[in-house]
Amino acid sequence: MTTFVIAKSTLGEALRKKILWIFLLVALGMIVMSFSFAEFSMREELTIIKSFGLGIIAIAGMFISIILSINLIPAEIERRTIYTILSKPVRRHEFLLGKFFGALATVFVNVALMSVIFLIMLTWKNHWQPDFAILKAILMIFFQLELLTTVAMVFSVFVTPVVNFFLSSGVYIIGSLSDITEAMARNKDANAFVRGFYSVIHYLMPNFANYFTQNPIIHPEAPVQNEWAYYGKAIAYAIVYSSILLIVAVVKFEKRDM
Amino acid sequence: MAEAIRTEGLTKTYKLLMQKEPVSAVSNLSLEVEEGEIFGFLGPNGAGKTTTIKMLLGLTYPTEGKAWVLGKPAGDIDVKREISYLPESPYFYDYMTGSEVVDFYARLFGMSTKARNTKVEELLKLVGLHHDGNKPLNQYSKGMLQRIGIAQALVNDPKLLFFDEPTSGLDPIAHSEIRDLILKLRDEGRTVFLSSHQLSDVETVCDRVAILNRGRLLKIGKLDDLLHGSTIEIRAQGIGNDTIEKLKALSHGVRSEDGAILISVGESEGVNHAIDVIRAAKGQVLSVMPKKRTLEDLFMEIIREVNN
Repeated sequence: MTTFVIAKSTLGEALRKKILWIFLLVALGMIVMSFSFAEFSMREELTIIKSFGLGIIAIAGMFISIILSINLIPAEIERRTIYTILSKPVRRHEFLLGKFFGALATVFVNVALMSVIFLIMLTWKNHWQPDFAILKAILMIFFQLELLTTVAMVFSVFVTPVVNFFLSSGVYIIGSLSDITEAMARNKDANAFVRGFYSVIHYLMPNFANYFTQNPIIHPEAPVQNEWAYYGKAIAYAIVYSSILLIVAVVKFEKRDM
Repeated sequence: MAEAIRTEGLTKTYKLLMQKEPVSAVSNLSLEVEEGEIFGFLGPNGAGKTTTIKMLLGLTYPTEGKAWVLGKPAGDIDVKREISYLPESPYFYDYMTGSEVVDFYARLFGMSTKARNTKVEELLKLVGLHHDGNKPLNQYSKGMLQRIGIAQALVNDPKLLFFDEPTSGLDPIAHSEIRDLILKLRDEGRTVFLSSHQLSDVETVCDRVAILNRGRLLKIGKLDDLLHGSTIEIRAQGIGNDTIEKLKALSHGVRSEDGAILISVGESEGVNHAIDVIRAAKGQVLSVMPKKRTLEDLFMEIIREVNN
């Protein structure tokens, strides 16, 4: 119950942050702008619009997730709101989970708003024939952002917001290059140290590349084998990885002096 | 009478980067606060008052020692249902209205909607904000924020209240109202742990006080016992340093003020002796005034003594 109360207040506060609205409005503007591409054939045009729109949702979502999450805990400590809350019958893990779910709800609202506008525009462009396959890509983007929100929130228990911004962005970039780190780890020409280094990076870093599913959706001629199994695994991976990170954050947060 | 708070050897040290020795914020603090009393917790800035309160609330963990609040270890979740805290210069979510803030804290206690609505109305009226309950906090003055802080601290009808500088930033009328409220809380049988720099407030409302400096407990006791006995203040002029040194030996303190020397002595025999010393040095006695010892006198004496 207290987790829900804190999550609700986190969502309420986040939705009043001007910077998040700026990202959201810029993203919505770019999505709408993408529909002015006219010099391609209908099929090419739809492909470009889908690719561009999903890319905008993913990038705007990434900035919103990081900017929101890096301040989750430090802002509460700096403003001393945490003192009055934790002096009430609120367990530290309830507070932390409340902040996390509040941040996640904010990310969901933002992704949902961008997606609704994108879907409406896309359906209009496609002569009012809805393309529900795009929802699968949006679902994957949401779970990628869920993973990123967890990473940024876990770092927010340990480090300052500025350090966290660079750390979370770095983890996102490395995690998005998972195919490259995997290839480097398996490169037989490289020495054992380099292979070991890339193996550790590949298995330790969250695999954000799992969630870039736009290509098969945009190019239906190259379908993913066992599509639902792939999505199921990716979602399960995000939930399990996030749960492990949240346990680490809770353990650290329980011991922390406020 | 039962204890509301008990600490035994409570110690908090912090390790700072680039420093070999840890910094001590609170050192070996042992004290007891009885149920139903207003306990003043005094000390200059950096004395360790807020750190002590944070340890009692379970916000910070002691390096050594133990603390019990309402008979249970500090930080116990059940105890938190029966205590409350008003931090110094409190900040709340400023997008919320006054009513929403009080409602938010009431929700943390799992109160029903009906109970919350009644409570919010009652508390806003108590702190004089019933006409401003629908304004967002970013339109509140510092004094109004302090009042909202007090309202959130009373949301659970606490048995024990921790107030850290509750009158900070308030105008004289609000100041007096908060003082009356603290006395009312004591009359209702609640315990108040009051950390404040406003020594006149502490002297007016507290039953017992503790004085802390650099993390160490210097004095603790009933206010009446600590302030017992009045002093007599002799104002003199035209005396040299040798005489001042002699006067220091037979008085509570000697200080200069507006070109005159003020000598505080304890009893009439001491007065006569001091006057004899001044006259022998061909000094001039300007006045002899009885003076009641105040908490401020006691506080300054103790802090000066330690710093010297």
